[in-house]
Amino acid sequence: MSRSRVVIVKSGRSLGSTDRPDPEAVFRLLRRGFGLLTGEKTGTRAPALIFRLDDRVGIKINTIGGPTISTRPEVSLALARCLSESGLAEKNIIVWDRTNRELRDAGYRLSMSSNGVRVFGTDTDGVGYGSDLVTHLDIGSLFSTIQTNSVTASLSLAILKDHGMAGVTAGMKNYFGAIHNPNKYHDFHCDPFVAQLFDAPPIKSKHRLSILDALVVQYHRGPAFHTQWAERYQGFVFSLDPVAADRVGWALIERFRAAKGLPSLKEEGREPSYLATAEKMGLGRADLGTIDIVEETLP
Amino acid sequence: MKRREFMRNAAGAGLVIGTGLPSLCAELYAFENEGNLSHVEARYYEKLPDREIECQLCPRKCRLGDKERGYCGVRENQGGTYYTLVYGKACTLNDDPIEKKPFFHFLPGTKALSLATAGCNVNCKFCQNWDISQVRPEQVRHFDLPPDKIPGLAREYECPSIAYTYSEPTIFFEYMYDTAVMGRRILEGESPVRSVVVTAGEINPEPLKDLIGVVDAIKIDLKAFNQDFYTRYVRGDLKSVLETIRMVAKSKVWLEIVYLVIPTLNDSMSDIREMAKWVKGEAGDHVPLHFSRFQPMYLIKNLPPTPLETLHAARDTALAEGLHFVYVGNVPGDPGESTYCPGCRQAVIRRTGFEVEAVELKGGKCRFCGTPIPGVWS
Repeated sequence: MSRSRVVIVKSGRSLGSTDRPDPEAVFRLLRRGFGLLTGEKTGTRAPALIFRLDDRVGIKINTIGGPTISTRPEVSLALARCLSESGLAEKNIIVWDRTNRELRDAGYRLSMSSNGVRVFGTDTDGVGYGSDLVTHLDIGSLFSTIQTNSVTASLSLAILKDHGMAGVTAGMKNYFGAIHNPNKYHDFHCDPFVAQLFDAPPIKSKHRLSILDALVVQYHRGPAFHTQWAERYQGFVFSLDPVAADRVGWALIERFRAAKGLPSLKEEGREPSYLATAEKMGLGRADLGTIDIVEETLP
Repeated sequence: MKRREFMRNAAGAGLVIGTGLPSLCAELYAFENEGNLSHVEARYYEKLPDREIECQLCPRKCRLGDKERGYCGVRENQGGTYYTLVYGKACTLNDDPIEKKPFFHFLPGTKALSLATAGCNVNCKFCQNWDISQVRPEQVRHFDLPPDKIPGLAREYECPSIAYTYSEPTIFFEYMYDTAVMGRRILEGESPVRSVVVTAGEINPEPLKDLIGVVDAIKIDLKAFNQDFYTRYVRGDLKSVLETIRMVAKSKVWLEIVYLVIPTLNDSMSDIREMAKWVKGEAGDHVPLHFSRFQPMYLIKNLPPTPLETLHAARDTALAEGLHFVYVGNVPGDPGESTYCPGCRQAVIRRTGFEVEAVELKGGKCRFCGTPIPGVWS
């Protein structure tokens, strides 16, 4: 397996004074991230190097944390704008999560209109979970029909957080929100379940890109929001390798923990062991020594 | 609520009455009904710093941050307070023969008003009712059925008991407990309605002690007699289940045990022998033990139904270890469905499937030889 590439882009302007993301700053940051990841100079056409122009792209976000620590509309809609700018039709972009309630709580206005970017939850009437149980290794779940039927390509846009059980929740675990029974996969530090779920055909066959929203990183006592342990990092982590993206996200969390004198996740007995499992399964790179990290700070 | 009104409302809500579970499948997973979940504070949990909680209802002891749900999927931490989302939210209701639970020594030939909510605190790979037990409450249609309405409904349907069953009643503890209390209230001109629980036995001692105080019978699914099986196929803890059996056996609540025999996974006769010895020693030789036939479903579809010879061998093994009432289940017409007097070996209750054909008991004793037959007979 060749080395993996992870891009980190940051800007001190991406969060406003009230910690709301600045849509323009976020858009520029995301576009730069795409550019650095693909080598496409301006970033404008970069998403089209990852997705086909006729793809129906699902942006799987994470809104379980409510208004304080969810993927915010300013971010996911700026990302949709990046995709659209590269030539993908807006009507073929779906921003989605488990439930409409969580989406609304995180500040989203739901939309099923076929004229623009659509935003809705799996529990929308007529959407739902598939009726056939998908079994894969230790996984037995019903999958959101958004993931199985509505989209042809999938992008995980997750919030980077410490997680009491998994150690870290990021791009891979974000897909727990694509199944009906995520509560059944939290034993044993979510290992091997995070890796096995990602490896299941409805996810693996469609996933193209991980972007970790690290504007505000919950580095301790997550996944709930605690302001005293939330770092305003104001960045995003990009990778085509889902394991490498999460691995670098974990490293960021450890950096913030160390800076505050907190023990490492390993010392707390909850390092995200799912990453090593994922690497063994051939899903990507979990060893930092095999990951090239490109970091850039925008003005 | 009158029967006709209830039936009309229930049908509108997709609730199943007396038609069995499979028809529920078509009702799942296609609607937004989170707003209909209950918001009743859970019992048995501890508040921790930083809006975290630790659930103390079952041995899993889920430690949860704000907005997180337990393994059961029906209890949620909301801002540091823990709530049950299924209080009064039945997703299925049937008037079943009590033999279907199965209870063979508890009011034979009667019906039990049987109800469930969504959710379960284990994840058996062979679950028969996974379409309600392994889902979240918002993913299945449910019906508002508060505890105070249920005993009246049971009387109306001529059910002397209410059964908490199908999924795992431990996870709807508050609903079950309050319903059982309502059933015991003596109303003018009406008899109390008893409560029976069908459980995997994964419950902590404190809530179990409270439950024992308000219910009349508990059937426990002992899914194997080794922890490896519990880890791999149940995601549960055998030791806790055995402790539950011990506690129920010591109480006044009637106890029966079911062991689902799955080919190659838990059908070792040495395990079954050890289990029978344990039941005799810790619960008593009078405790009915049912060996049920497995049918392939949910996540185990690659194994055949249990061969009859295996079920008979299991029954013979347990009888040889000195248990007096050992049954074969899910095999309609098998002689092992009937109750035999340990004194004279005559059949004192003859059954076919869930049908009771004859009861040869008089005052709880064998009509042929007078040997007392333990159970709740009237």
